[in-house]
Amino acid sequence: MGEVIVVTSGKGGVGKTTTTANLGVGLAALGHKVALIDADIGLRNLDVLLGLENRIVYDLTDVTGGRCRLKQALIKDKHCEGLHLLPASQTKDKTAVSPEEMKKLCQDVAQEFEYVIVDCPAGIEQGFRNAIAGADKAIVVTTPEVAAVRDADRIIGLLEAAELRNPKLVINRFRYKMVQQKDMMSIEDIIDILAVDLLGVVPEDEQVVVSTNKGESVVQDERSRSGQAFRNIVQRIKGEAVPLMNLNQNGMLSKLRRIIGLK
Amino acid sequence: MASEAKKETTSLPEKELSEIKSNFIDSNTILVQRTLRAGQKIHFNGNVVILGDVNPGAEVVAAGNIIVMGNVRGVVHAGAEGNTQAMVMAFRLQPIQLRIASHITRPPDEEEMSGAYPEVAHIKDGVVTIEAFSASGER
Ligand SMILES: Nc1ncnc2c1ncn2[C@@H]1O[C@H](COP(=O)(O)OP(=O)(O)O)[C@@H](O)[C@H]1O
Ligand SMILES: [Mg+2]
Repeated sequence: MGEVIVVTSGKGGVGKTTTTANLGVGLAALGHKVALIDADIGLRNLDVLLGLENRIVYDLTDVTGGRCRLKQALIKDKHCEGLHLLPASQTKDKTAVSPEEMKKLCQDVAQEFEYVIVDCPAGIEQGFRNAIAGADKAIVVTTPEVAAVRDADRIIGLLEAAELRNPKLVINRFRYKMVQQKDMMSIEDIIDILAVDLLGVVPEDEQVVVSTNKGESVVQDERSRSGQAFRNIVQRIKGEAVPLMNLNQNGMLSKLRRIIGLK
Repeated sequence: MASEAKKETTSLPEKELSEIKSNFIDSNTILVQRTLRAGQKIHFNGNVVILGDVNPGAEVVAAGNIIVMGNVRGVVHAGAEGNTQAMVMAFRLQPIQLRIASHITRPPDEEEMSGAYPEVAHIKDGVVTIEAFSASGER
């Protein structure tokens, strides 16, 4: 039985889909069998990020609705051996799937894969409840902005209420300079409020956008800083203790101590 | 506000609410052993003691006193049914808004509120006053 990890945030546009894709590619690149489930039904984009849009025949709701078998709907990634995607339907609305159906689906996928990563829609409505229904663990993504952290806090509360304890935090689009100038929340400020373990910090990096537009993932770009950050997160998900990377390009390591793996 | 406090509503899940409600210190005081996160509210017709933080976007409304063994960054309202003797005490008092009875206050926009020590807010000479907490109990 593999483990099911949901990537969630509350606020939209903070990097859930980017994180899901990079963790999937990163884990698969290390030889793991990984399935990504796009639970952002009606607003799919994981397939676009992975450059798999043109291969979709069946989608998630076809599987839960019994119109095809799971194997038929899973799309093999073109770059990455071992990585599969279960795409979201573009047309049907979020109520087309129930939390119970999602739970069953996640269990079925986890039979075949070591890691199942679920990309969650923004918000706290039914789409969110569906996405977390089958999860064993949760990753909460935020950016260092007050509004995003507030939404992350809300989500952590809801995850706790749904018995998904100890979610792990990814801080995305981190800009060292802005934090220095006190224009952005620091890692310490964020952890102080959210009081959860930090899984990693991903710097703001235009390479993310460049890769995305090519249907690739930064995690495979050896030179990019965001890619390094995602590779570190992958290691931590595997339970390895990797120190936080140097976020300031000119030296000075963060004094942060609460970095922890998912295991 | 007054009638709201009576209802003892909260957005916490039913199960946790009953856990909290079974955590009486005395018949008039509840103990909340968790941090209140954004969107979570506790309304109680008595005193509330919180072992955790009150985060931005969280709200505690009590007819009596509010004591927070942690950071207050959300909204707190003590004496919600009109008790002007009610107080709010916290390890770190940095509320978005603090109310006692019908008095509503917020931290000054320029200044950074609160030092790194416990403080008490109460009504003194008709205004909400925040002072360092002293164990002697002197008000
Ligand atoms: N670390 C980063 N640096 C720069 N741009 C980023 C970074 N992470 C995400 N982005 C960009 O932000 C936008 C939103 O990201 P996305 O993953 O789609 O968010 P979500 O799924 O949470 O809505 C995308 O255009 C993406 O390329
Ligand atoms: Mg998305």
